[in-house]
Amino acid sequence: MKTVTTGKILFNRQLFKEYHLMGLKVPAYFQESLPGQFVMLRVPGRNFPFLGRPLSIYSLYMHQTDSVIEILYRIAGKGTDLFAHMKKDDDVSVLGPLGRAFDVQAEGKHIILVAGGVGVAPLSFLAEHYGRLFPDDTLHISCYLGAKSSDTLIGLERLEHLCSHVKISTDDGSAGYHGLITDLFDRDFLSSPHEDAFIYACGPHQMMKSLAHILERHPCECQVSVEERMACGIGTCLGCTVVIKSDKTKQKFVRACKEGPVFDIKAIDWD
Amino acid sequence: MKNMTVDIGGLVIKNPVMTASGTFGYGEEYAPYLDLERLGAIIVKGLSLKPKAGNYPPRIIETPSGMLNAIGLENVGVESFIKEKLPPLKELAVPIIANIFGETVEDYMKVAEILSEAGGVSGLEINISCPNIKKGGIDFGTDPDLAFEVTRSVKKVTHLPVIAKLTPNVTDITLIAKSVVDAGADAVSLINTLKGMSVDIVKRIPHLKNITGGLSGPAVKPVALRMVWEVARSISAPVIGLGGIMNAEDALEFLIAGATAVQVGTANFIDPGATMNILDGIDRYMEEKGIDNITDLTGSLRT
Repeated sequence: MKTVTTGKILFNRQLFKEYHLMGLKVPAYFQESLPGQFVMLRVPGRNFPFLGRPLSIYSLYMHQTDSVIEILYRIAGKGTDLFAHMKKDDDVSVLGPLGRAFDVQAEGKHIILVAGGVGVAPLSFLAEHYGRLFPDDTLHISCYLGAKSSDTLIGLERLEHLCSHVKISTDDGSAGYHGLITDLFDRDFLSSPHEDAFIYACGPHQMMKSLAHILERHPCECQVSVEERMACGIGTCLGCTVVIKSDKTKQKFVRACKEGPVFDIKAIDWD
Repeated sequence: MKNMTVDIGGLVIKNPVMTASGTFGYGEEYAPYLDLERLGAIIVKGLSLKPKAGNYPPRIIETPSGMLNAIGLENVGVESFIKEKLPPLKELAVPIIANIFGETVEDYMKVAEILSEAGGVSGLEINISCPNIKKGGIDFGTDPDLAFEVTRSVKKVTHLPVIAKLTPNVTDITLIAKSVVDAGADAVSLINTLKGMSVDIVKRIPHLKNITGGLSGPAVKPVALRMVWEVARSISAPVIGLGGIMNAEDALEFLIAGATAVQVGTANFIDPGATMNILDGIDRYMEEKGIDNITDLTGSLRT
């Protein structure tokens, strides 16, 4: 029987300003977690913040005999702020792994990751997963990472370790390309299009909307992971609705927690 | 286990812990998380004659000790429910109560009729917290006459026990309770969500696309408890209490205040196994206090 379980905090440190990284000791079944999946994280015994928070898994590994998941999070409100105040050895309640994972491609594909801000979390787990599937570096992973400034290029070092190439952009030009990550991606992609490319993206709504627009001109596939407010995470509250284009005139509602959080970029109604 | 059997207006269930409509899907979603057959009853997501897409997002927002929702009664419709969702539920040794709603009295009657003939449904809960489009959009549940009419009409077309689910958004809930019981309701359940809202002060927009939503969770519990107490004193039909029940202590408060059974709603979102913990907690309490029959607890409040 699946259940809400206890995660023991192994570490919980500030990376930069509102960005934090939490390591949790979790039961062995979390080894089945796949990139793109999330957990509902909650501080037990509290009525406010009340609901769990859906957070993508950033990394998954064994430490001695323990299963460990890492959660990269940004303080965005009262719930995540409370997480930032939790200490080593504190318990949090964890429900997961939940949701639809990214589709993993076979050898021969050129993998491209497009990450914005804390959207780096599920994509880093994906790169880590690919590294395990293809340990002899036979898979080419390029990554585009965008942030506001050089300070907020969260997870850059890890991506450089996990990917073949990492290109960066900052809004203020303090590192890499001066501008939006989607503009950098668009420029590169136009000069050397990859028909065999498979793109994965996660970031702010505007970034993914721009990417969807760029990819209208290219035939390659792209999966995105979306973020929505959730109450249950398991498909019953119907609170995390995503608007899908079912055909040219009709829209359809689906659940980010169940049919997603991973979707085909073309399926989503970005407006 | 102590004797937890309760009689909900002719529907006898093995324990008083049910799931609240709209918080438990069609049951299947929770199968990985708990033994569904341990529940007193499962009340499924509200059903309408035709499928309903629900409201545009955002649909939920957390508030102090609770949440607001404006899902918009999204559901697969009564026909799909019978074809796709009901067959696996029928296999379970647990009564299934279908929650129904409509925009006209005729809608309610048709849905009730279809479900009564389907087999495998043990009771109907009528959600009367819906606007009546033929009566200028007044909620059925806020007008004693409309509440009477819809309840009596449903009773006419079904042999199943009928539970009327009452809205708290009224001046005197006992008037509505008396009205639906006079109309033939076998039991009442209360409270549905309290109407509320929440504002994003940065963007100066409502947090919910629908602007207003229904408040649930621990924040509403004292209000729910007060209303259950008032209604239980004013009608002879059984009362099912709900509103912010998170644990066994909360459930016991409702029983003592006069509820024959309880429904667990928002707690299912926090912990899919919440109903099992509540059930175990009630059992422990009865053991400790030497209470053999749960019915001895109902309405045992000393004032």
